[in-house]
Amino acid sequence: MMKNIKFILAVVGLTLALGASAQSQGQMRLNEYLIINTSDFQDDFGQQNSWFEIFNASYGTVDIGGCYLSDDPNNLKKYAIPGGDVLTAIPPRQHVLFWADNEPNHGTFHVNFDLKNAKEIIFTKGDGKSIIDRIVIKDIYRDSSKANISFGRLEDGIGSITGDGEGWGELAVTSPSTNNAIIDKAAKPERMKSIDPYGWIMAVTAMSVVFVALILLYLIFKQIGKANIKQANKKSANAAARNNHPEAAVTPAGEVSAETYAAIATALHLFIEDSEAHDEESDVVTQRHTDRTYSPWSSKIYMLRQTPQVNKRN
Amino acid sequence: MNNIVENLQQFWQYTGFANCNFQYLIMICIGLTFLYLGIKKEWEPMLLVPIGFGIIIGNIPLFAGLKVSVYEEGSVLNILYQGVKQGFYPPLIFLGIGAMTDFSALISNPKLLLIGAAAQFGIFGAYAISLAFGFDAAQAGAIGIIGGADGPTAIFLSSRLAPDMMGAIAVSAYSYMALVPVIQPPIMRLCTTKKERLIRMKPPRAVSPTEKKLFPIVGFLLTAFIVPSGIPLLGMLFFGNLIKESGVTKRLANTASGPLIDIVTILIGLTVGASTQADQFLQLRSIWIFIIGACSFVIATFAGVLFVKFFNLFLKEGNKINPLIGNAGVSAVPDAARVSNNVGREYDPSNYLMMHAMGPNVAGVIGSAVAAGMLLGFLG
Repeated sequence: MMKNIKFILAVVGLTLALGASAQSQGQMRLNEYLIINTSDFQDDFGQQNSWFEIFNASYGTVDIGGCYLSDDPNNLKKYAIPGGDVLTAIPPRQHVLFWADNEPNHGTFHVNFDLKNAKEIIFTKGDGKSIIDRIVIKDIYRDSSKANISFGRLEDGIGSITGDGEGWGELAVTSPSTNNAIIDKAAKPERMKSIDPYGWIMAVTAMSVVFVALILLYLIFKQIGKANIKQANKKSANAAARNNHPEAAVTPAGEVSAETYAAIATALHLFIEDSEAHDEESDVVTQRHTDRTYSPWSSKIYMLRQTPQVNKRN
Repeated sequence: MNNIVENLQQFWQYTGFANCNFQYLIMICIGLTFLYLGIKKEWEPMLLVPIGFGIIIGNIPLFAGLKVSVYEEGSVLNILYQGVKQGFYPPLIFLGIGAMTDFSALISNPKLLLIGAAAQFGIFGAYAISLAFGFDAAQAGAIGIIGGADGPTAIFLSSRLAPDMMGAIAVSAYSYMALVPVIQPPIMRLCTTKKERLIRMKPPRAVSPTEKKLFPIVGFLLTAFIVPSGIPLLGMLFFGNLIKESGVTKRLANTASGPLIDIVTILIGLTVGASTQADQFLQLRSIWIFIIGACSFVIATFAGVLFVKFFNLFLKEGNKINPLIGNAGVSAVPDAARVSNNVGREYDPSNYLMMHAMGPNVAGVIGSAVAAGMLLGFLG
C-alpha cells in the first residue's frame, strides 16, 4: 500500500515537474530577426550573417536544449539545439541570439539554414511536434533596401503569433540579445513621483483599496454571521420543540448575555454543592517516589531493531 | 625575538581594538540599549534581545576579507541574512502569526475590520512626509510601511523597494512597536472624552467553527484577488490560520506557531541587527527614518481613534465602539490591544477592552499586508 502511494506521488511529482518545464518552454518567443546583414552585429568568427532572437517571456529560467528550430514546415526537426550546453538555459526575461548562417559547426547558436531563403521560422519543443512559436518572414526584408534593418516585436514577447500585425514592426535600431524597447528600471517610482509629488494620489488610491478590501470582508462575514445565527436559532427552536420546551428557544443564539452565563454557572455550582456530587478534598498534595527510572534512552523498545525476516519462496 | 614582536603587531592589527572607531562604539551602545530595554524593562524582549545582540555582532570592528561580516558573500551571517534580503523570513513569520491568531473577535464583530483599515493612514502619511523630505518614491514607500507597525511587513517591503535602507527601517519599526505603550496612550487620551472612554461594548457573540474555517479561505481569496502583490504575506497569514482552525492539522499548526516562528524570529532579529553596520546605519537619513517612523505611529494612532469617533456617529446607542480600541488598528499584536485595555481600565477598572481591541488589531495585520501589496504594486 505504502509502495503504491510512493509510486503515485513520484508519478504525480514527475508529471507536475515536466508540465511546469513544458509550460515555461511554451513562453519562449521568436522576438526579432534581421536578414540582410552588411554592417550590423558580427558573430564570433567576425562574420555578418542573418540572425534571429528568441526571448524568454517567463519569470523562470528555461532550458531550450533539445528543442528544434526550422525554416521548413515539413521538417520541424531541421536543427536540434544541443542539450547539455549551459548557455541554452535562458534566464527569466532574457534573450538568446541564433545565427542563421547555415554553419552549424560554428557552435550551438548557429543553425543549419539561412533566412535569405526561409519563408518562416519555426521553434518546436523536444518532441519535434509541438510548435512553441512560429513566425512568417516578410519578403520585403530580403531586399537590399532593408539591409541592416530588423523586424520584430515592439515590446519583448508581446504581439501576435503570426510574426506580423499587432505588436510587430520595424525596429528603430537593431537590438540583438537585448530589449527591443528600452525599459527604464527606475521608471515606476520616478513616474509615480512625477505624477504624485506629494503622495496624495497614492494615499487616496491605496487607502481606498485597503478600505474596499476590508469592507468587502466585513460585508461577507456580516452575512455569514447572520446566516450562522439564524441556523443556530433554528436548531435551538427545533430542539426545544422536540423537548416540548418552546421557552428555551426565546434567546437568539449568539446573544447570550454574561448574566445568563453567570446564572448557569451558579446553578451548576449550587446543584453540585447540594447533591454532594463533589467530595471534599483533603488539600494535601503528596509526591510518591518511584524506583522505576524509566527513560526512553534506556528503553529496549527504541534500541532493538526488528528481527530480520527472510522471505522464503515456496 | 623580532619575529615574535612582529607577529604580535600583526595580530594587533587583526583585533577589533585596532580597527575600532567611535562609530562602532555608538552602534554597540545602541545594541546595549536595546538589550537593556529588552531584558531589564521587558519591552518586546523577543525582538529587542536578538536585534540588540545582532547590532553588537554586526559592529565588532574588523577588517574586510575575513568572511565573517553579514555583507561578505558566503559568510555564515550572510547566508542567514539571505532570508531577510530575499524576503522569505517575513512570510514564514506571517505563517506563525496566522497559526497563533484567533480571529474570533473580528468574526463576531466584523465592523471592527474598518478600524484596521483606517489605521493604515499612518503608512501613507509617512509616505507623503518622506516625499516632502526628498526621498524618492520607492524609499518613501519603504519608510511609510513603518506606520503599519508590523516588523515582518516592513522588512519584506523595504527589501524590495529600498534594500540599502532596510536595516534602519527594520530597527525603527521594531523599536516603535516596542514603544507602543509609550507612544499611544497620550494620543488616545487627547482624542477622547471621559464619556467616550467609559463606553462599554457588547460582549462578542460565540463564533462557530465553520465561520472560523471560512474566514482564512474567504479572506485570502478576497484580498489576494484585489492585491495579488500581497500574496506572500496574505497567503501565509491565512494559510497559518487555516491550519489552526481546520482542526485536522494540529501538528502543523503547533509547528508553525511554535518552533518555526521561534526559529525565524531568532534568525530575523539577529540578522537584521547585524545588518546595521555603523557605516551603513550611522547616516543622516537614518535619523530621518526614525523621525518619520515616529510620525507614522502617531498618525496611525490618531487615524484609528478618530475613525472610531466618526464611525460612532452612525451607530445606534448600545452598539457604539469605545474609541480607546482605535489605536489597536495598527498591527502591533497584541501590544496595541493591551494598551487599549490598560488605558480603558484606568477609567473603569471593570471595563475589559482586550478582546474587543484584538478585532482591529488583527484587522491591522491584514490591512498592513494589503497596503504593503499596494505599495509593491505601484513602486516595485
